[in-house]
Amino acid sequence: MGGFKHDNEEVDLPERLHIGVIKYFWQSSPYNPSKKTTIPHFLRNIIVFKDFSDYELYLLSKFIHERTYENGEIIFKQGDLGIGFYLIYYGNVEIIVEKENPSSTSTTENLEYNLVTCLEKKDYFGELALLQENSIRSATAIAKNACKLIGIFKPDLDELIRVHPVVATKLLQSVSMIIAERLYSITKEVKVLKYKLSKMEQLNENEVK
Amino acid sequence: MKMRLNSNKRKRIIFFFLLIVICIGFIWSLPRLSIPLMISYVLYLIVEPTIPHLIKLGFERNLAVIIIFLSLAIISIIPVVVLVPTIKMEVENVGIYLPKVETYVKTEYEEIQQIVLQKAGIEINNEYFKNALIYVTDNLQKIIINIPKLLASLLEWLLVIPFLLFFFLRDGFSFKRVILKLVPNEIFERTYYLSNELNKKIGDYIFAKFIEASIVGIIIFVGLLLMGVRFAFLLGIIAAFTNIVPYLGPFLGLLPAIILGLVEHGIQSPEFSGILILYLAANIIDLGFVFPILVSKMVNLHPIIVVISVIIGSHYFGVAGMIISIPLAAAFKLAVAQIYFEIYGR
Repeated sequence: MGGFKHDNEEVDLPERLHIGVIKYFWQSSPYNPSKKTTIPHFLRNIIVFKDFSDYELYLLSKFIHERTYENGEIIFKQGDLGIGFYLIYYGNVEIIVEKENPSSTSTTENLEYNLVTCLEKKDYFGELALLQENSIRSATAIAKNACKLIGIFKPDLDELIRVHPVVATKLLQSVSMIIAERLYSITKEVKVLKYKLSKMEQLNENEVK
Repeated sequence: MKMRLNSNKRKRIIFFFLLIVICIGFIWSLPRLSIPLMISYVLYLIVEPTIPHLIKLGFERNLAVIIIFLSLAIISIIPVVVLVPTIKMEVENVGIYLPKVETYVKTEYEEIQQIVLQKAGIEINNEYFKNALIYVTDNLQKIIINIPKLLASLLEWLLVIPFLLFFFLRDGFSFKRVILKLVPNEIFERTYYLSNELNKKIGDYIFAKFIEASIVGIIIFVGLLLMGVRFAFLLGIIAAFTNIVPYLGPFLGLLPAIILGLVEHGIQSPEFSGILILYLAANIIDLGFVFPILVSKMVNLHPIIVVISVIIGSHYFGVAGMIISIPLAAAFKLAVAQIYFEIYGR
């Protein structure tokens, strides 16, 4: 409101308003549902959704759930039944795994945890739950500060397949891409580990001899 | 900090469950509301699977719902215009018919009495027969007296049910989303999974039952029509509706047909055996082909549990309870299994 009105009234306005100006005022109108456009915008900036058209992202945004979490709140627990794939809208999330060898005092409070990763904005987790039947969470996710997550759940995927098959296919393609990448890096790691293991076995044999 | 968080969490959970309990209690206590709600929900489940097909054709959801609604209206107006006179006529004929049935039963009974007296020398007491007859006629009268009352509520339903159905179809998706927003975080995934499973179970079951019942009804109707039996349409509708009730249903549907066949044609006539064979064939087709393909996949309940839940359902909700009891039992089983896993671990 402020910057538009000049001191001297004699500023000659253009005969016709520029399309850009109209567009600007139209978009800044409080009646415009700008809130709804934020989620497609957010999804646009995520690499795995790069194949989606704007309209498809808009359709997808109707099928997702926004969930807000307080600091320290558990998003899901290891061993729970999982049905959801989460994207971080803002905030940080920690992924932790219970230690394999539980100590002799195996009360639930004294369980030891290993920090796997700390995730931040635009990161995603829990994608396996979307594809597996009766998926069990392999790690615990905890909100590190107040955060907002975008969740896509199995029933939403079923509904998407039923109503918008193309969007569903693209979503599945994106999720498979994530998983394929992860599988690739894991096989690579396994290769390295196997190599190291065989080396160590050889060393052992040499020592025995 | 931690304490505050915990109390906040607890508040959310208490609020959520309180809301659910209050809503269910409110609807439960008002049958005038709950019956149309239930009927429109069942209709919604039957109609809803067509919406994605229309959306795939490129219609907006709103337009798709309007198209479905208009076609439903047209489809239901045709039977009202064409069939109501025939149904009315048939029902009226039934009214004229009942005394005929009564006298038939009486003469038959007297004949049997004579035969028994001749052959065994025992006179059967008339009391039992009279009591049975009075019981049957009394109940029939009760039903006929209640018809105006039923018609009045039918008129109310005629306005309320389409209204509810329309908005269920149009906004059902967003209703679900709003309710899910209220679910507290720590039970969100489980609640969503469970409610979705339950909904799917009930929806699939009702859709399958609808198709099964209409197949049986059409077979009976066409068969009776071809045999030239009276009240073919009425008997077809009765067969379709009674088919929904598991195990008992087919016999209930057969009963009026047997009475009609006996009274109209007698026990040795070809029509009577034709009716029996037709009902047998319809039920064999139902149990042999339609039921295994459509329904049995959806509910794997033991027959004992099926019968028990039908009895419980009929006790509390009458006919509607009989229909809804099986999917509810399946849903209950699912919920119990889930809670069991929650407590005892997988």
